[in-house]
Amino acid sequence: MTPSRRSALVHCALFVLCTLLIVGTIDVALAQPFGASRGGPPPDVGGMTGWIFAKQAAFYRMLSSTIRASKSDGSAAYTLMGISFLYGIFHAAGPGHGKAVISSYLVANDETWRRGIALSFASAVLQAFTAITIVGVAAVLLNVTAHVMGQTVRVIEIVSYALIVLIGLRLLWVKGRALLRLLRPQHHDHHDHAHRDHAYSHDHHGHDHGHHHGNDHAHEHGDEAHAWGHAHALEPSELTGKHWLRRGLSAIVAVGLRPCSGAIIVLVFALAQGLFWIGVASTFVMGLGTAITVAAVATLAVAARGFAGRLVKGKPGGGMILLRGVETAAAVLIIVFGVALLSGYMVSERMVGV
Amino acid sequence: MITMIRILLSVLLCFTFASPALTHPHVWVTMHTELVYAPDGSITGVHHDWAFDDMFSAFATQGLDSKTKGKFTREELAPLAKVNIESLKEYDYFTYVTADGVKTALTDPAPGYWLDYTNQILTLHFTLPFKPPVKAKLLTIEVYDPTIFVDFEWAKDKPARVVNLPHGCKLDVVLPREMTYAEGKALSEIPADSANTTMAWGAQFANKILMHCP
Repeated sequence: MTPSRRSALVHCALFVLCTLLIVGTIDVALAQPFGASRGGPPPDVGGMTGWIFAKQAAFYRMLSSTIRASKSDGSAAYTLMGISFLYGIFHAAGPGHGKAVISSYLVANDETWRRGIALSFASAVLQAFTAITIVGVAAVLLNVTAHVMGQTVRVIEIVSYALIVLIGLRLLWVKGRALLRLLRPQHHDHHDHAHRDHAYSHDHHGHDHGHHHGNDHAHEHGDEAHAWGHAHALEPSELTGKHWLRRGLSAIVAVGLRPCSGAIIVLVFALAQGLFWIGVASTFVMGLGTAITVAAVATLAVAARGFAGRLVKGKPGGGMILLRGVETAAAVLIIVFGVALLSGYMVSERMVGV
Repeated sequence: MITMIRILLSVLLCFTFASPALTHPHVWVTMHTELVYAPDGSITGVHHDWAFDDMFSAFATQGLDSKTKGKFTREELAPLAKVNIESLKEYDYFTYVTADGVKTALTDPAPGYWLDYTNQILTLHFTLPFKPPVKAKLLTIEVYDPTIFVDFEWAKDKPARVVNLPHGCKLDVVLPREMTYAEGKALSEIPADSANTTMAWGAQFANKILMHCP
């Protein structure tokens, strides 16, 4: 590998991790309204960030007046849908929409961008559905207080965060072992032997077997499927195309289970105005907007991962280790997000529960 | 070349997204604040009236029992007021006071706090006492939620009052405002690679009460 290629690769890997870390930090730090540090006044925000910040706050505030207006003016309902959509797009920059988990999940699993978009939309729809179910059952049917609703959300959150940790742990188990196998020194001793066998027998490759672990041998023969998609997985059958959705289901549930507090407040407000169905429609449209943002971030992560992959294609050694390293790091990040959400949550209460 | 663009892009992205605070408020509070002084010129307490926005007001009152639908008496809201006040303790009531530059703690609210519900707006009334009372040349009171889940803003109309204003003291309320042209120009002239972009934005978001005494 030439120095410039290597440096590009390192930058790319850093880029992937940086992206994941950033979206993760945002999700983690802000998912608990009252849980974060009390280090000082609200930070001054400017530029692009300040603009996003101002926009979503503005759209959120417009929701209440538009919902009120929908009571007497049918056309206000259309305006409401437009605002809900824009709010969803901007709001997904905020907490709880699982950009970090989904992006890390995609990077760790080396999923395609199409699947990333599908996962983003599925989790956003589920998230809207959870909010509607909670308010529908708790407020409409049972007429419980906001406090009880808050406690319900709390239980759901714990389950959701625990699921995120579990997904991370499972990925770390798979990816970490793949990385360790690459790092084993005897690995290179076999470099010139028997790689033809690898190329033709990758369907049965066993990771426990010292000779079969070397995916970087195989791709020199142009066996990309082996090198990129399959070689590092625990169970090859699980990784064929049909099962990605089943595998991704855990990520969809972990991310989508936790409802957005904004959506819950909007729904209860709509209910109080006697316009529950308007609130339901608004929540789904919000979800659509959210999905677009999450999908965009996920696509970015997948693209960066893909670019890093192409750079090391056909190059033995360090590149593969770096890629496996990125995957392992992505798995670790998922665990970190999950644990931080879980523990940050445990020490804090939420205003929504008041 | 492509590599360069990628690196540039990644660095840009890092800076764009790495800034804190990408959430937004879900609760808005419009405040009226009263500074209560003793005859000897020391401050004994801060009294807040916090009016919540209509969406949160509807949310917080959801499912509460009331005799008249859509109306809540002070008694009917008493349990909610208790929960509110007790939850706020963990966050120091979002009220941060310095006396001559030194952080000063307020104690828990005196009994007699209450909630009222007027025109579908919920308002929380409570007093945070100073124990012991404090004398200072410069007293600052800020109210904010660092996580920005709650957006606190003093009312445009009579944001602050003083009970028993000590002789020679002057109240000054610094409210958020739009940037002036000069500030905007100064902001735009900060070099792009400089981190100090807080100047004008800080002024825009400032939200504090100052009390100057001789």
